[in-house]
Amino acid sequence: MKIKDIIFKSWIYISGIIVVVVTFGVFLYFLYKGIKVVTLEFILEAPGGMPLGTEGGVFPAIMGSLMSGLLSGLIGGLLGLCTSIYLVFYCNNKKNQKYMLHALQLLAGIPSVIIGLFGYTVLIVGLGLNKSLISVTLTLTVMIIPFIALRMKKALEETSKDQFICSLSLGIPKGYTIIHLVIPNALKYIMTSLGLGIVFAMGATAPIMFTGAVIIAGVPNKLTDPIMALPYHLYVLVNEGISIEMAYGTAFVLIVLVLLINLICHFIGNFEDV
Amino acid sequence: MKEIVLKTEDLCVSYGQKKILKKINTLFEKNKITAIIGPSGCGKSTFLKSLNRTVEEYGGNMEGKIHLNNVNIMDMPLQNLRKSVGMVFQLPIVFPFSIYNNMIYAPKYFGEKKEKLNDIVIKNLKKTGLYDEVKDNLKMMATKLSGGQQQRLAIARCLTVNPEIILLDEPCSALDIKNTANIENMLLELKNEYTIIIVTHNLSQAKRIADNVIFMDEGQIIEEGNQNEMFDNPVNVRTKEYLMYMRN
Repeated sequence: MKIKDIIFKSWIYISGIIVVVVTFGVFLYFLYKGIKVVTLEFILEAPGGMPLGTEGGVFPAIMGSLMSGLLSGLIGGLLGLCTSIYLVFYCNNKKNQKYMLHALQLLAGIPSVIIGLFGYTVLIVGLGLNKSLISVTLTLTVMIIPFIALRMKKALEETSKDQFICSLSLGIPKGYTIIHLVIPNALKYIMTSLGLGIVFAMGATAPIMFTGAVIIAGVPNKLTDPIMALPYHLYVLVNEGISIEMAYGTAFVLIVLVLLINLICHFIGNFEDV
Repeated sequence: MKEIVLKTEDLCVSYGQKKILKKINTLFEKNKITAIIGPSGCGKSTFLKSLNRTVEEYGGNMEGKIHLNNVNIMDMPLQNLRKSVGMVFQLPIVFPFSIYNNMIYAPKYFGEKKEKLNDIVIKNLKKTGLYDEVKDNLKMMATKLSGGQQQRLAIARCLTVNPEIILLDEPCSALDIKNTANIENMLLELKNEYTIIIVTHNLSQAKRIADNVIFMDEGQIIEEGNQNEMFDNPVNVRTKEYLMYMRN
């Protein structure tokens, strides 16, 4: 075997090992640091103590993150799926397709803090909404649409384009084909993209700081209530020097939630109708 | 007396500025197998795909006329056209369902009664010689079939909507000799009921199964005629050169 091949092969193995070690390293580090404070009370109670966050738990932040993440995932997922379906199956004009793809890529590249500023300007200042769950949700939706649409487009092209045309050649219309063939066939990839989109939304801090996340709030009862969110709570705990232990606990809870959502989406996507 | 089922008049197809087919005029006889041959990129597949307007799904623009039983296909509802002119693709395309669900996919959409579905499945699987091989495994995922079986399933599925014409785009190019022979024998049986138009690179295959042959090059029909005339006494120099090149 040539020396170049040995170096190349070694580098591939080392890269793989680095990825696995870093992934498990991050998880195990926060598991080790966070497990000390993560108890049932930590998960089920609101923050307490003085300064706020030194005692109690993160329940309202868990609910705030879950609600905003799932809601934006639902809206963004639907819009992203429709956008990708349009791009793959309906848009025959290559020029229009190119412009739409550029727009999505541009939107995907905009820093999240700017998306947050946009949400603040349009929703809070422009439309007069409160800092609230709905403002957070809509801002996060704008952020994740291109993220989801671009992934779903790739998945639809790879899994279903030939089958789509084959179905049309039987005289079946596009709408029926998409609902009965394309979506079930690409469900695994659609759910994976959706899961990643939800996780991306739940982990974002900058867009929610401007639009609805606050230091203390209860579980929102309505869309116009402000929310607590795990990433913002974590930011406050560290930035204000309130409690690094509680920050580790919060980070641990966030990681576990992200993992759970990914697993659930993966499970739903792999549920086959034989 | 020849019975003509499909006729093209000055058919042109282009993708954007690029012209692929240039004024194609030809006729297809009922219950015959017509093979379209020609070098790669000559427009054979585009021609085939234009006959049921599938080419439009790839972004192609069609001009000219195609008459199916004396009706211009551009005036027909797309669904009716594609039901009448079915298509089988180069690579076997089965849907990610069971064999049974692949077979009832189209009839179910077209509102066939539940009690009729079983008959449709059995009848069409038998036509393609697949029934005996899969009758005990109809609930098996179609993707688990071999390549040859998948292609026969694709043909059987195409028959479930009772087409008049079947278009086949190099259906054996990904298959071995045994599966190719199976499909060729099946097509010879099917031509009693259907009109078959097949694109093929394989001259021996065209010779074995085709009644008529069309030779295309650079988006035009160079020569056409019955199989014996075309292979034994081609008139056009380009046809002669192509046949000689392919034989060598």
